Amino acid sequence: MRLKIVQNEQIAKDTFVLKVDNPGLFEVLPGQFFMVKINDYPFPLLRRPFSVAGFSDTIDFIYRVVGEGTRILTTKEKGEFIDILGPLGNGFSINSTKKLLLVGGGIGVAPLLYLKSVIESEYKIRCDAYFGFNSKDEIFTDDGNIATMDGSAGFKGNVVEMVEDKLNSDVLVYACGPTLMLRRLAFLCFEANCSMQVSLESRMACGIGVCLGCVVQTADNRYKKVCVDGPVFDFEEIQWQAL
Amino acid sequence: MASSLVVKLGNLIFKNPVLTASGTFGYGLEYKKYMDLNKLGGFIVKGLSVKEKLGNKPPRIVETPCGMLNAIGLQNIGVDRFIEEKLPKLENLNTHVIANIYGSEVSEFVEIAEKLDKEPKISAIEVNVSCPNVSAGGALFGKDPDMVFVLTASIKKVFSRPVIVKLTPNVEDIAFIAQAAEKGGADAVSLINTITGMVIDTKTKKPLLANKTGGLSGPAIYPVGVRMVYEVYEKVKIPIIGVGGIYSSDIALQYIMAGATLIQVGTANFIDPAISLEILKGIGEYLESEGIESISKLIGIAHAD
Ligand SMILES: Cc1cc2nc3c(=O)[nH]c(=O)nc-3n(C[C@H](O)[C@H](O)[C@H](O)COP(=O)(O)OP(=O)(O)OC[C@H]3O[C@@H](n4cnc5c(N)ncnc54)[C@H](O)[C@@H]3O)c2cc1C
Ligand SMILES: Cc1cc2nc3c(=O)[nH]c(=O)nc-3n(C[C@H](O)[C@H](O)[C@H](O)COP(=O)(O)O)c2cc1C
Ligand code: FES
Repeated sequence: MRLKIVQNEQIAKDTFVLKVDNPGLFEVLPGQFFMVKINDYPFPLLRRPFSVAGFSDTIDFIYRVVGEGTRILTTKEKGEFIDILGPLGNGFSINSTKKLLLVGGGIGVAPLLYLKSVIESEYKIRCDAYFGFNSKDEIFTDDGNIATMDGSAGFKGNVVEMVEDKLNSDVLVYACGPTLMLRRLAFLCFEANCSMQVSLESRMACGIGVCLGCVVQTADNRYKKVCVDGPVFDFEEIQWQAL
Repeated sequence: MASSLVVKLGNLIFKNPVLTASGTFGYGLEYKKYMDLNKLGGFIVKGLSVKEKLGNKPPRIVETPCGMLNAIGLQNIGVDRFIEEKLPKLENLNTHVIANIYGSEVSEFVEIAEKLDKEPKISAIEVNVSCPNVSAGGALFGKDPDMVFVLTASIKKVFSRPVIVKLTPNVEDIAFIAQAAEKGGADAVSLINTITGMVIDTKTKKPLLANKTGGLSGPAIYPVGVRMVYEVYEKVKIPIIGVGGIYSSDIALQYIMAGATLIQVGTANFIDPAISLEILKGIGEYLESEGIESISKLIGIAHAD
C-alpha cells in the first residue's frame, strides 16, 4: 500500500517520527506493526518492521536510526509516497481486571505510547507508564515516568529498577525494549508471580509467516514466529536463556 | 491477439511460466490475501520431510547487499500433516501445486514421494538435493552425480507424475549433475538453489547466523543463475526451471533466453507478496511489444549465433 508521508521529522537524538496518511481501511491493535519498504531499487532489499506508535488521522511510527535502512528513511520528505505492508502481528491484549503497568526501554517505548492511548481513551482505565532512556537527549515522550541511565532526567538508573517493587500477582505488565532489559524483567515477574506481555524483535524477511526467519525459541523447546504468533507474547511462553 | 504464455513440462500444461519458489511461498495459503493464486502458472510449497522438522536455532537470516542469507534448516510440518491440514485447502485452486521434498536418505525421499503419489492435487514433485543448511542429505547429495542418478531413478519408480530435480550451485560443473538427473529419468531440473555464504558480526567477532553459514538468495545471485541455466541448456534435453534473484520481468526474460522453460520467483515474494503477478504481466507486455506470438520462441534464444 502506497501512502503519503505527512511528517518525517527528528524528535530526539537519532530518533524520528514518521506519519503517513491513514486510508481508513483497517483497524490497528496496539503492538501490531508494518513492514516498511525503504526504496524501490533492491537495496536495501528487505522491508523494515516498525511498530505503530499512534493511529488516528495518520499512522505514526517512531524510529531510531541504527543502520543503512533507517538512515535512508530519514531522507524521505513530506508529500512523498511510501510503501507499507500491514497491519501485521497479533498486538497486545487488554485485560482490565488487573492493574496495568507499561515498561518501555529506548525505542521500545514507541508501541507502548499507542497502547497507552488506547487503554486510556477506549477502555477508560488508568495505567502507569515507566520509560527508560540512556540520557535526556534520547527522550521522545513526556507521557510517563522517566528513568535515564546517566541521571540527566528523572530517575537515575535502569527502568527495571524503577518498577521492581511494583510487581505482584495483581499486576499485568506490558513491556517492550532491549532484550537484556526484557530478560531481567521476565526474571522478576517469575519471582513476583506477575503477568507480563512482551513485544519482541527479530530479524524478519517477510513479516507474514512464510520465510520462517524470525522464530524465537519457546519454553517447550519449539519455535514460534515473531511476525505472526507475536510480536507480543506471554512472557512465560519464551525461553529467555536462549535470547 | 495476445501472445501465448503456455508452456509444457512433460505432459503437464502450465498456463504461464511463472511459479513461486519453495520456502518463499509457505503452503500457498498465506498469499491468498495478497493475490489471486489461480493466475500463477503454479507454486511450490515449502520443503517437506517425512517427519516434522523444527529447523535451526535463530538467528536464521541476515541481510546482505541486494540479497539475504538464510539458515532455516528446513523447518516444516512433515508430509502427513501437509496432506491432512494444508492440501484440502488447496484442492479447489486452478493452478499447479508442486511439492518440494527433502530426505536425509534415499528411502526417506521415496517414502514421501509414495505418499504424494496418492494425492492427485500434487501436479509434480521437486526434489531438493541442494539445501545447504542441513547436516545430512541436502547439498551433499546434490554434489554427487551418482547419488543424484540413483535418487532420481528411485523416485521415478514410485511417483507417476513429473519429477523435477533441484540442483545446487555449490558445485564445479552443474551441467554434469544435471545430466545425471536426466539419465535418472528426471522430467526437468530447477536451478539454482542458494549459494553458501557467511556473515561475521564484528561486534561479537563470530558468525552472525547460529548455523554459521547460510544460503545466499535475492537479486545479488541472478547472474550466477542465468549463467548456470545457459550452461545446462547446452548439455541436457529436459526442460529447465530457472530460479535465483528474479524480481523483475527483465530478469525472468534473461533466464528464459538462457534456456529456462519456466521460472520461479523466490525472495522477491518477501518484499512484495504479489510481485510474481507483476513479473508475469511484464513478460506478457514484452512479448507483445516485440511481436512474439509465443513464449516458447524465446526459450534458449540467447544461444542462437
Ligand atoms: C516487530 C518489530 C517492531 C519494531 N518496531 C520498531 C519501532 O517502532 N521503531 C524502531 O526504531 N525500530 C523498530 N524495530 C526495529 C527495526 O526494525 C530495526 O531497527 C530496523 O529494521 C533497522 O534497520 P536498518 O536498515 O537501519 O539497520 P541495519 O542494521 O542496516 O539492517 C540490516 C538488517 O537487519 C535487520 N535489523 C537490524 N536491527 C534489527 C532489529 N532491532 N530488529 C529487527 N531487525 C533488525 C533489518 O531489518 C535489516 O534487514 C522493530 C522490529 C520488529 C521486529
Ligand atoms: C527462506 C528461504 C527458504 C527456502 N527453503 C527452501 C526449501 O525448503 N526447499 C528448496 O528447495 N529451496 C528452498 N529455498 C531456495 C529457494 O527456493 C530458491 O531456490 C533460492 O532462494 C533462490 O531464488 P531467489 O533468489 O529468487 O530467492 C529457500 C530460500 C529461502 C530464501
Ligand atoms: S518474518 Fe518471515 S516468517 Fe516471520
